Amino acid sequence: MSPGALMAIVSARLRAERRSLAFACASAAVVGFVQPHGIAAITDPLTADLATRSVWLAGPMFFCSTIGIALALAQGPGRHTYLDTTERSAPLFGRELARAKALAPVLAATLSALVYWAAQYVSGFAAPPTFFILALACVIASTLVALNATTRSGARRLAPIALAAATIAIAYVLAVYADAYSTKSGDAVGVATELIFCALAGFIALRQYGESLARYEDFIGQS
Amino acid sequence: MHILRMRDAAYERNGEQIVAPTSLDLAPGERMTRVCANGHEAEALAMMAAALARATSGSVTIGEYDPRVQPVHCKRIAAFVPHDPLPLSQMDADRYIAYRAALWDLDPLRARAHAQLLLERLHGLHEAFAYPVVGALVPSPQLLVLDRPQATFTPAILEAASGCAVLIVQAQDRA
Repeated sequence: MSPGALMAIVSARLRAERRSLAFACASAAVVGFVQPHGIAAITDPLTADLATRSVWLAGPMFFCSTIGIALALAQGPGRHTYLDTTERSAPLFGRELARAKALAPVLAATLSALVYWAAQYVSGFAAPPTFFILALACVIASTLVALNATTRSGARRLAPIALAAATIAIAYVLAVYADAYSTKSGDAVGVATELIFCALAGFIALRQYGESLARYEDFIGQS
Repeated sequence: MHILRMRDAAYERNGEQIVAPTSLDLAPGERMTRVCANGHEAEALAMMAAALARATSGSVTIGEYDPRVQPVHCKRIAAFVPHDPLPLSQMDADRYIAYRAALWDLDPLRARAHAQLLLERLHGLHEAFAYPVVGALVPSPQLLVLDRPQATFTPAILEAASGCAVLIVQAQDRA
């Protein structure tokens, strides 16, 4: 697949979903501003550490990942039929098309996460960059998992959405709690396990999306 | 040699037969019209002929290739024009041609010039119907598959697609 084809699909998809993207960024900015800032006075260092991490990560992980899932679902067939038909008739393999189609919601979700972090920064309670990367990894992984719902119909769509929700929950637990019980290694255990988990979940989801996109034919009858 | 060959090609989804076993041969440069019972059958047959959908039984070959095995090769030979017009409010015509040129890995300037030439040949068609045809013809396909084209536009489309085999799939009803 040529870089030009990749760019064409991503830019066409982002342009088609520009209103959703603007809404996602605006809501991320608002929630980033109004989310709880600071924690109650806690003397126990372990509890304080957990509370700080959860305040840093809960908002961006849960909210921005939900935005990512919504943006992924918006890539489903039927919303922009002319894009779906043109992409399907182009001489591209399913996995190539999957990568290009996945990049659009991933970029959109990343942008909304950046806006969220910028809002936190402006309001004076931004998570350190390491924790922002943890949140971003969770957003990207859950968006990729949710994309698989777009190649299914009916109740079968719920399974990838449930898996995406589970991805967020597992990533959050790993990022907040994994380090709390291994203080000797600093943040390394939590950061590494969360990033590895998100990378694996995202990779498997993208592969599965490519496979199912190549077989997907439920678009017949939508015009 | 045939540019499109179908042998008892049928399509079914969720246990429901959408396209009954169909056989046809289309030689290079030949034009053929198939009339289906309804819109779903016409759309599915057109998509099978353009390698966008795979026959669930029987065989389809486009050029020398089987769409189930080599879909990318088939899509370089066949071009598909959907029934729906291009929503110009969502993507303007120039951007649409640039978008298609990028997907087919064509030189953008040549594609634009070719599109302009084709558009002149399609004089009289509304832009929303002309641009999907232009977009399909810009990569110079050997086979053009038209999914339920408007009857009044068909002669102009056939003239623009000179030298190219054309399969027109129509429906008896408007479902």
